[in-house]
Amino acid sequence: MLKIVGSFVLGIVFTGVLGWNMMGGMMFHEHLSPFGVEETVARIQHNIEAAGNGWSLSGLRNPAAAVKADGGNALPVMMVEACSTKYSGPILNEDSVRFLSILMPCKISVYKKNDGKTYIGAMNAGLLGPMFGPLVGDIMSKVAADQAKFIIMDPSKPTPQIIYPKAAGGGGGGGGGGSGC
Amino acid sequence: MRITHILLAALAGLSLAAGASEPPAAAPAAPAAAAAPAAPAKMLSSTADHSKFKELQQSFKSGPEVTKACLSCHTEAAKQIHKTKHWTWEWVNPENNQKLGKKNVINNFCTATASNEKFCSSCHVGYGMENAKTFDYTSETNVDCLVCHDTTGAYKKLPGLAGHPTYKDIEFPPGSGKIAKAVDLPKIAQAVGKTSRDTCGACHFFGGGGDAVKHGDLDSSLKKPAKYLDVHMDAKGLNFSCATCHATQGHNIPGSRYTPTGKAEDAAHMRGKENKGNPASCQSCHGSAPHKAKERLNSHTDKIACQTCHVPQFARAQPTKMTWDWSTAGKLTPDGKRMKIPDASGHHDKYDSIKGNFTYESDVVPEYAWLNGKVKYTLLGDPVNTQGVTKINEYGGSPTDGQSRIWPLKVFRGKQPYDLETKSLLVPHTAVGYGEKDDSGFWANYKWDAALKAGAAAAGQPFSGKFDFVSTEMSWPITHMVAPKADALTCTQCHAKNGRLASIKGVYMPRRDANGMLDIIGWLLAAATLAGVLIHGGLRTYLGRKG
Repeated sequence: MLKIVGSFVLGIVFTGVLGWNMMGGMMFHEHLSPFGVEETVARIQHNIEAAGNGWSLSGLRNPAAAVKADGGNALPVMMVEACSTKYSGPILNEDSVRFLSILMPCKISVYKKNDGKTYIGAMNAGLLGPMFGPLVGDIMSKVAADQAKFIIMDPSKPTPQIIYPKAAGGGGGGGGGGSGC
Repeated sequence: MRITHILLAALAGLSLAAGASEPPAAAPAAPAAAAAPAAPAKMLSSTADHSKFKELQQSFKSGPEVTKACLSCHTEAAKQIHKTKHWTWEWVNPENNQKLGKKNVINNFCTATASNEKFCSSCHVGYGMENAKTFDYTSETNVDCLVCHDTTGAYKKLPGLAGHPTYKDIEFPPGSGKIAKAVDLPKIAQAVGKTSRDTCGACHFFGGGGDAVKHGDLDSSLKKPAKYLDVHMDAKGLNFSCATCHATQGHNIPGSRYTPTGKAEDAAHMRGKENKGNPASCQSCHGSAPHKAKERLNSHTDKIACQTCHVPQFARAQPTKMTWDWSTAGKLTPDGKRMKIPDASGHHDKYDSIKGNFTYESDVVPEYAWLNGKVKYTLLGDPVNTQGVTKINEYGGSPTDGQSRIWPLKVFRGKQPYDLETKSLLVPHTAVGYGEKDDSGFWANYKWDAALKAGAAAAGQPFSGKFDFVSTEMSWPITHMVAPKADALTCTQCHAKNGRLASIKGVYMPRRDANGMLDIIGWLLAAATLAGVLIHGGLRTYLGRKG
């Protein structure tokens, strides 16, 4: 009996440790971009604008600029923020999951690493969503499908230009308003 | 569910932290317009107020007239200048007798000066250089004192005027409708002083045809840099001028890319003690054991240049040009006009009819190589590699020669014309002198044949009439834009399988060169040792209790 309980506990501990170690990697995904930071950002922005489903750009942040302004150095990081009221509306209207507003707007991060290459990082909406029940799960699965379209880098398309946010106002999260998220 | 909440709380925390500190990515905000208190009158650091000199109280009509006045006191200045590369545009490399200098080298930016001198000589310290072969290098009054010693910022030498500033108001660029004002020579001459980041930068920040184009670690952001960009030149801190490190003797300025110091001597330079080493090296001030708190780092200084760790990226304030493809130049709009296509940032062109395609990049992670200070150039007449990449310059260096350190480099890649028969690089005649009509200039007529023929004739090179474009690369050692020490590379940025120095050969680097099997054996040995100690200790305890 002791052996069975012991093995069971050991199994739980092992699974827990394994899950804990893998969780970070599963919650987010990272892709290599064939383009530089600016061009990757511009292509994502234009993909978002072309995605339909109510998606619009709600900001563009540059956390590395804040580090530089503070006297330090950081490799380039730019965060594209996008929102779709079609998806955010139902979540914001449901008290039990309204706290998920902290994940809004949807962010896609574009950054350079020490290998000099540009990467795209995003939240794994498809995995996170079902943890919060069927409403959020359903919405987040659609978000995940759209997100996959945002990061398609098609070299046959001409280089678009970055869309710099207009002066902050409304609900743009400090990076320029427009989407209402 | 609890894990999910913890995760969300962490995400929210991260999100809040980021949102609280970072500005939006919009254009940089203007500095606060707080009312500044009236600045106290500044005392001249120089012992001479040039505005009081009668020699300079003249209505100068030309640059040479100003120089004549300067030389009436500074009698040896022009003679000193005449011996420098800044004047001769020529230097013979004693290692291999290659004739270098702007008169002889070819690069993969605007390529070369031959046939383009009237344009290029806006960055020559002389007046009237229309042709580098026929220019009077013995003339003292042709030395341009003001280009280095102007303190007003008003002295401008426009391209196309053969090294002269403009002496009358002119439309510049021609046809633009913009007026370039004549320089006020008396005012500028009476305000001369020491060289500054502005004066050196007027040429060196704009090399290759524009701001931040050529060097990667030198651009106009260094006129007034913040600490993050360069700890030495930090305008609110140490505020070094270029000459603080490039300490000049008799107008000869040390620290050239033709003669880089791969491995500087160990000891810091001392006042009063003769030292023939390069004063523009890190070691000349810091020595080779500068890490007081982290002694272990000093064991790296024998193999690694200071810049490798302390210039983690270059072009940190604005993008630098990284590639240039001349082969696509000459495409015009349907109505036959020059066209420009902006890149993704909207701040630079990715295509310009007169130059071809470019790419720009900011915060560039350098490439790394062993460098011992020796350099070999591919010059006009030298064969190119038509099957691969032609190296415009190649720095020597190896882990075993005792003269090398690992250096960070900007490697600039491009495509440029070469002769299909002679298999050597060609110089296109691009720029035309101000107000001149010249059908052979590529920037005027977009005809490669005529441009290459004129360029070859000016350079004294044969041209078969058949040409193509060859891939080239050119290396630029990175040495400016020294970051604060907190931003130096960390151990794991190099000591990793795919770290910064992954391509460096000939030196063992822990972790990068780790052997998986050896590691397993090591860990097993460590585990066996631990097990042995525990078993031994346990047995002794057990047996001790047992009596």
